Amino acid sequence: MLWTDKYRPKSFDDVVGNVKQKAIIQKWVEKWKNGEPQPPLLLIGPAGTGKTTIAHIIADEFSEYIELNASDKRSHDLLMTTIGESANTYSLFGNNRKLIIMDEVDGIHGTNDRGGTKALNKIIKESKQPIVMMANDFYSNKLTTIKKNAQVIKMDKIKSPSINKYLRDVVLKNEEINVDKDVLMKLSKRSSGDLRSAVNTLQALVENGGELTEEALDSTSQKDNTSTIFDTVTRVLKSKNPEHVKRSLFENNEDPTLVMEYIAENIPREYESNREVQKAYEMISQADLYFGRTRSSQYYGYWKYASDFMGVGVSVSKRDTYRKFSKVVSPMAFSMMGRTRGKRALRDQIASKMEEKMHVSLQVAYTIFPYFEIMFENDEVAWEISDFLELEDDEIKFFRKKKIPKSVINKMEKVKAEMREEEKEEWRKTIKDGIFREIPPQELENNEPDFIEEEIDDIDSHKNSTVIDIFDDFDDAELDEIANEYSLSNGPKSKLRKKKSSDDKSEEDKKDKKEEQLDKGQTTLFSF
Amino acid sequence: MLGPWVEKYRPQTLDDVVGQKHIVSRLKQYVEEGSMPNLMFTGPAGVGKTTSALALVKSILGEYWRQNFLELNASDARGIETVRTNIKNFCRLKPVGAPFRIIFLDEVDNMTKDAQHALRREMEMYTKTASFILSCNYSSKIIDPIQSRCAIFRFTPIKAEEIADRLKYIAEAEGCQYEDEAITTIVNFAEGDMRKSVNMLQSAASTGSITEDHVFEVVSKAKPQEIKKMVNAALMGDFMKSRDILREVMIMQGTSGEDMVNQIYQDVSSRVMNGQMDGDIYMNLIGAIAETDFRIREGANPRIQLEALLAKFL
Repeated sequence: MLWTDKYRPKSFDDVVGNVKQKAIIQKWVEKWKNGEPQPPLLLIGPAGTGKTTIAHIIADEFSEYIELNASDKRSHDLLMTTIGESANTYSLFGNNRKLIIMDEVDGIHGTNDRGGTKALNKIIKESKQPIVMMANDFYSNKLTTIKKNAQVIKMDKIKSPSINKYLRDVVLKNEEINVDKDVLMKLSKRSSGDLRSAVNTLQALVENGGELTEEALDSTSQKDNTSTIFDTVTRVLKSKNPEHVKRSLFENNEDPTLVMEYIAENIPREYESNREVQKAYEMISQADLYFGRTRSSQYYGYWKYASDFMGVGVSVSKRDTYRKFSKVVSPMAFSMMGRTRGKRALRDQIASKMEEKMHVSLQVAYTIFPYFEIMFENDEVAWEISDFLELEDDEIKFFRKKKIPKSVINKMEKVKAEMREEEKEEWRKTIKDGIFREIPPQELENNEPDFIEEEIDDIDSHKNSTVIDIFDDFDDAELDEIANEYSLSNGPKSKLRKKKSSDDKSEEDKKDKKEEQLDKGQTTLFSF
Repeated sequence: MLGPWVEKYRPQTLDDVVGQKHIVSRLKQYVEEGSMPNLMFTGPAGVGKTTSALALVKSILGEYWRQNFLELNASDARGIETVRTNIKNFCRLKPVGAPFRIIFLDEVDNMTKDAQHALRREMEMYTKTASFILSCNYSSKIIDPIQSRCAIFRFTPIKAEEIADRLKYIAEAEGCQYEDEAITTIVNFAEGDMRKSVNMLQSAASTGSITEDHVFEVVSKAKPQEIKKMVNAALMGDFMKSRDILREVMIMQGTSGEDMVNQIYQDVSSRVMNGQMDGDIYMNLIGAIAETDFRIREGANPRIQLEALLAKFL
């Protein structure tokens, strides 16, 4: 149960703060009870100063009451039929009066509540029944006429010592919870005169054995004096008043895309109907789209649309405002990114090894992960791939829980060594074949040149070569020596290095040709 | 060589490249001429863009291809500046043992427009020393000035028989027994994507043998169940659960927005194919998916857009 309901004051004496105001209201009630009709009461003040509480205490003094709040559609007809009637009807039994309570009367607005203000003014003038109205914004021009015809009570913010005393002596005493005195005082101060918010914050933090620490306090969404992202989110989700919503967004100095993330995160936490979530999220989607368009066009004029979509758009996506306390939560996607930083870093480390060895981008590497997971179930394949990618132990763990068994590692290393020998053998053959073209085999057999072994050891740098011409690596002197040793005649040098010498000549030509082609800037389009 | 078969059996020469016959024959002409213009390879994943590029580079640059070749990922998280510095440092040096140098840039379509304009300037600056091969999935995302400076080659999905032949060749080279049905199943699931096919083949082989059953097992394991669960949760009206799964998949597995849209489409599509969903509802969802796809490609935040898409499923 919400503590704000559990500990809601039941009598004027219990109400915290606003002593003078309470006295006037009590007098107003007495006069009605004595049969003296009074002008409607208009309680104006910030949230959490006791307006709703007082209205309910007044209601207890009368036999019947009806209540309308800002979330109800206040079209002309609706107001006339519900309030209009009861305002003019006397109960059959003498003095029994029917109290009319109307919350957020400054929330009545243009198109949605067509004629709402006019009807309300009419009722105020004609009503023979007691009326209590509540409003937040003293200077709202929607209240101008109402204020003339009502008794205006300006509710003050509750002083922090009073809040502190109430939390300590009423709430915590009853709940039998002990908390740090200083932190409680801090909490009271931070609530900036809003008792409801203070109680809610306290409940969120200490109920079910939570401890009231400063860190915990800092982490709550409790409103403070500087207008925060939490205020804006609360306003967007709680209000249906475009003026309030727009102003709140306007006054918020945070990065608007961050505000959008906050609003999106909290939509399904506040809105209960799926239709509402759907509508609201479509607004978020539109806002996001305009942020994207701002980025790509660098035209910041689009921002205002984004702001309206995520603000007013989301706020009017609900049918009714919810009367509940929901804690504003920071975007889970962000905290998830923080929490999983280590694991993601490991993932990216593996992906970048794949990028290097498998010629794939990170995005493509991720798509291969599920297959690796399957392959890694097989010890030998796991070793093969780890060896190929040069994965460390923790990286292997990313794909399989168990370590690769030592026996498998030993076995596979042997296999690898054997394969390497085979590869080298093949390479040796390839090289010799290449040389045999120039040097008679019988000469070579007795006197194998050293460079063959060197070339074989250098296998890795040649592995993917399509042209094997090992003599390209030799300088003129070396070639002369080889030619002499194997008594090659007929211009041995040019023969041994025929490829390279012909390249030298044509290189310039090729370059020119290529540049010519590029200079033309021709576009060839091949579509197959 | 041991290791992933996709690398082990990557064709090393243009002759070995599977499919894309017309493109390959044109590329061979470049090799004969010993020169090439800037090229752009576009097409879906796993159809041979990188393989063709590497094979071309090896043939045209000859033995010293390694020293004269730079492979870069344009969508590198480190940003365009890193890419530019790499290109600059590489192009400042004269080609060694080869007539010119080649820069291969992958995923150019993931670069922002600004980055593409910067890239275009680099391309102009080094025309004398280097040729570029750009690779992308969608050429429509490449700015015109770059497109007009390249010969564009459009790679198409590889034909079923060609994939099947290659898979059989690999299986035989590895000394693995295989069922013909297993190969057919792989080819059906891979949709013209050779990389995916070979990964599936090796996965199946690693579970013991290449049978149809094992292939199905691989398909169901490799296809993330999360997508199904996520769509289910949304259709059942549990938005919070669905949204949590979405974030898990995108953030933890690094799945891109475009892939997510695709997988959601596949999932919803399979529901209507199995008679689990009415045509009317299906078309409503498709409308929403299509719009999300469009918005993401237009530069919106993929995660936010996908969250909104899931809300539409409620």
